[in-house]
Amino acid sequence: MSSSDQIPQENDLPKSQQTPMNIDGNSTTHFGYKTIEKDDKISMVAGVFHSVAKQYDVMNDLMSFGIHRLWKRFTIDASGVRPGNKVLDLAGGTGDLTAKFSQLVGREGKVVLADINSSMLNVGRDKLRDKGLVQNIEYVQANAEYLPFEENTFDIVTIAFGLRNVTDKDKALRSIYSVLKPGGRLLVLEFSKPEHELLNKAYDFYSFNILPKMGEIVAKDGDSYQYLAESIRMHPDQETLKSMMDNAGFEQTSFKNLTGGVVALHKGYKF
Amino acid sequence: MSIFTKLAASKIANELLLPQAVTAALELIINKALALNNNTSVSFSAVAQKTLTLKLAELSFPLSFSVNSSSKPVVVIVSTLAEQSDCSIQTSLYTLKKLKDNQSLTQLIKQDELDVSGDLKVAQQFANIAQSLEIDWQSELANHLGDVPTHKLLQFGNKVTKSFLTKSKQLEADLTEYVVHEKRLVVSKSQIKAFNQRTKEIANDVSAISKRVDKLIADYASK
Ligand SMILES: C[S@@+](CC[C@H](N)C(=O)[O-])C[C@H]1O[C@@H](n2cnc3c(N)ncnc32)[C@H](O)[C@@H]1O
Repeated sequence: MSSSDQIPQENDLPKSQQTPMNIDGNSTTHFGYKTIEKDDKISMVAGVFHSVAKQYDVMNDLMSFGIHRLWKRFTIDASGVRPGNKVLDLAGGTGDLTAKFSQLVGREGKVVLADINSSMLNVGRDKLRDKGLVQNIEYVQANAEYLPFEENTFDIVTIAFGLRNVTDKDKALRSIYSVLKPGGRLLVLEFSKPEHELLNKAYDFYSFNILPKMGEIVAKDGDSYQYLAESIRMHPDQETLKSMMDNAGFEQTSFKNLTGGVVALHKGYKF
Repeated sequence: MSIFTKLAASKIANELLLPQAVTAALELIINKALALNNNTSVSFSAVAQKTLTLKLAELSFPLSFSVNSSSKPVVVIVSTLAEQSDCSIQTSLYTLKKLKDNQSLTQLIKQDELDVSGDLKVAQQFANIAQSLEIDWQSELANHLGDVPTHKLLQFGNKVTKSFLTKSKQLEADLTEYVVHEKRLVVSKSQIKAFNQRTKEIANDVSAISKRVDKLIADYASK
């Protein structure tokens, strides 16, 4: 790959996108369990994903026993995608959803793979090219809070395992709402709160004791996986996220628990 | 099946992500098979961007097949997305088997065994492609294993399938007999015993078979 082909690094983003303005005057946010300055969250999250990008797919399979593929399939099945649709795969990372969407929207359709992180986008682009998927995919480095698209552009926006990393989630939801066409829908696939106490406990043990060790051994990066486990616990539960979507203007919002609520798929429409 | 059992079955299937597991497996198998196809004259252009949906009586969810012919190689995508289908067929696995046994599509439609909505041509085009694929499983296996072991393996495979089929038929017949003729809803001790006995027999057969497989592999390795 030539250097001009590279997607620009984080600090090439306009300053306004690196350090989101903060309306309520509260300048701290969560980074996993730590409370940090909001300005620092973006670069710390970036650090995590720059460092996991290469092993990201392998780790995903390992950590979820491959089930993430079924969660993603469920998302596609629930999206109602059809040939000719325009789809935004936001925080799309290494492009699993993009690959499927690209095949389903066909020649007349388009899929935009957007992510804030250049390393993840590069890994994604290489992977999709190797699969022979080039025709209808665009790559855009963008922050979910400030989407660089015109209003009413997309039929479908998905954000899979991405929203919990976003500093100002309400702002991101509003930004997504604006780029959706009337009749368009948002699908948020994200870790959530297991429905049963026992499952919750088992899941806690797994995430805090086993997951970081796997990260250490396979990706040589225990800290990043510790962050992932913590960020999952800090993420809003099913009902909270649903009301956040309502507040951002989405209608007919609903969610479906998958694997006992370890993961939930939220869906909402813009009319 | 009553509508309630059907609903409950579909809810459980969904919770377990069964539809997604089934479509993922089918997609894998179909695309593997396509990669092994030797008939280079098969053309996918007629079905490019087309979707065929099967609604099987045995499954609580639809199966949709779409062809992406702009990617190389051609990829078939299997999903449960049914709204946008070009042709939708409502039928059962049992009827599909008849189709394989050379009864024609139209014959089955006339007998009300197949219910088609949408463009019947699309279904026919999909069927044509499926029939024109030439997949030589034997030489594909031989590439990996060598000729003699492949021959042995296939012979052995046939035997296993046959014996499994007779065993399971027998078991089914026995069970039916218990249920139908004795008309008992609660299983008696002796029935459980008989069932356990059969299970044990089958387990023994399986372990004998697995020993044979081990031996075959060992034989092969020592060559
Ligand atoms: C766990 S990965 C998920 C990737 C992919 N969607 C998947 O499901 O495999 C999370 C992604 O979110 C991206 N991300 C984090 N904060 C973001 C933001 N504010 N805007 C856009 N993407 C962001 C990260 O760079 C990372 O690639």
